Amino acid sequence: MNLIFALVVAVLFGTGAYLLLSRELVRVVLGVVVISQAATLTIIVSGLVRGAAPIYPLPDEPISDPLSQAMALTAIVIGMAVTALLLALVLRVVRAYRSPELDEFADEEVERLARLDAEAELAQEDEEAAAR
Amino acid sequence: MTALALSIVIPWAVGAVLLLIDGRRARAGRAAIATLTATLLTLGFLLATVMSNGPIVVTTGDWPVGVGITLRADVLGVLFALLSVLVLLAATVHEVADGVRERPFPGLVVLLAAGLTGLFLTADLFNFYVFFELALAASYVLATYGGSRQALGAALVFTTVNLLGTFVFLISVAGIYHVTGTLGMVQIGERMAVVDPNAALILAVGFFVAFSVKLGLFPFHFWLPTVYTGARPAVAAILSGGLANIGAYGLLRFGAELLPRELELGASALIIIGSVSVLYGGILAISRSTAGEVLAYSAIGQVGYVLVAIGIGGPVGFAAAILYTVVNALNKTMLFLTARMRGAFVGTAFALGAMSVAGVPPAAGFVGKLELFRAVADQPLLLALVFLGSALSFIYVFQVYQLDFWRAERTGRASAWPQQAVLVALAALILGAGLWPEPLLVVSHAAADLLADGAP
Repeated sequence: MNLIFALVVAVLFGTGAYLLLSRELVRVVLGVVVISQAATLTIIVSGLVRGAAPIYPLPDEPISDPLSQAMALTAIVIGMAVTALLLALVLRVVRAYRSPELDEFADEEVERLARLDAEAELAQEDEEAAAR
Repeated sequence: MTALALSIVIPWAVGAVLLLIDGRRARAGRAAIATLTATLLTLGFLLATVMSNGPIVVTTGDWPVGVGITLRADVLGVLFALLSVLVLLAATVHEVADGVRERPFPGLVVLLAAGLTGLFLTADLFNFYVFFELALAASYVLATYGGSRQALGAALVFTTVNLLGTFVFLISVAGIYHVTGTLGMVQIGERMAVVDPNAALILAVGFFVAFSVKLGLFPFHFWLPTVYTGARPAVAAILSGGLANIGAYGLLRFGAELLPRELELGASALIIIGSVSVLYGGILAISRSTAGEVLAYSAIGQVGYVLVAIGIGGPVGFAAAILYTVVNALNKTMLFLTARMRGAFVGTAFALGAMSVAGVPPAAGFVGKLELFRAVADQPLLLALVFLGSALSFIYVFQVYQLDFWRAERTGRASAWPQQAVLVALAALILGAGLWPEPLLVVSHAAADLLADGAP
């Protein structure tokens, strides 16, 4: 059973990581969501005992670990809040760059660095000229 | 005990209210400053209590021990909380004096203070995660502050990378619970001794990755320069001086207290990664031409020293790591805040911060470097590394000084006086800690002894 869960978590995490590396911002968000599911599943599996639902009055049979379920619930809520935050951020970025892809951002970064280098070179030439 | 509860509740409650108020009003800014000051005073009182009476442990909500979430104030946690709130206070005063530009800023800073204080003062692993998320969620929004395209793009990178780190942390927490059956840090430390070494090592690597991402160590640093150069000075100061403390604290707490055997096992790996960080940060910082970028790469180099000190371990190594983290956070905060400022004190403050980064007396950085030298005294190779790293940092900080202050780029109308007052206060603190380092030394040694005692 543990092996199956471990495999599922591994596949989820791998899928999420793959999505995270893509250029489209919505896919990046989906990657984060899938990875958060991998984490939640890990928490549920980390329970020390498995059995019936741990609700009072407790049944005679073994019950599953309530603590890991409480943790999983908290993790789901936090994961949802963070996803909403990330989506809002993506929306702002898309509006600012008018493109849902990371390429625009990367291009601008390269341009900015090139501009900085050019400025530094110019400043150095000025200094050399002044020294002469 | 009241001080412990108050230090978390004050910023939490006020932060939630402040978020509803338009933060651009001067009153909201003043309320945030007052809240942070109150938190700082409470933490100062708590530090004095903990130093004289030992750690305070409280189980929340009067639950039986073992059921309720435990809060714990020990020297290490309170020191980091105090440092982080101090940094946040300085950055907030600086930004409020300049005029807050976006609605949520004061509320977010106060909530960030609540998250940081909470995670430094908890003794429960899952509670640590919740406060961790609170602090990070506030910082994700803070990273967009200013709203320029560059800041937005940088915030996206920051958020995605840190979310990935957080989930790695969460998975490791689940693993720790599975192998030890508890979430209390003290019990985990006791029970890790009988855990299968393979499982323990995997969990230790998970925590190491999660905290290294926060700290911006060499192989996990890729997000850092973009974010620190894209953000406004106050936000860069908050992220590098406040939020990055989580990484150092996490490595110390989780490494030295929860997983001491794994820390010992991975000591050489930590020292190697730390050394690479020092050299990489130093060399790249020299190659940059703007103050923001130099400081960003310098941040990567400076945390390398902390990692080297943790790798050496023992009371001396941990004390050096703690002291260096404190000094480094103060340096970074002051240097990031000087960006875009003009006035009589700006050049002086920058020069003092530069001396502190390079480890030149009488600045506090000298004491940090001295402790580092003490920790690596019997290893010539590491001595050479610390010396080389200091030489590199000396070159890059004074290169910035030369570029920015000698070339008349900082002439013009002086910045508002409260901004200059913040700089003077931080400079006085750095100078004071350099001239009279006893209090800082005593506190960091007390914290380190506590950690080293925990390790069998």
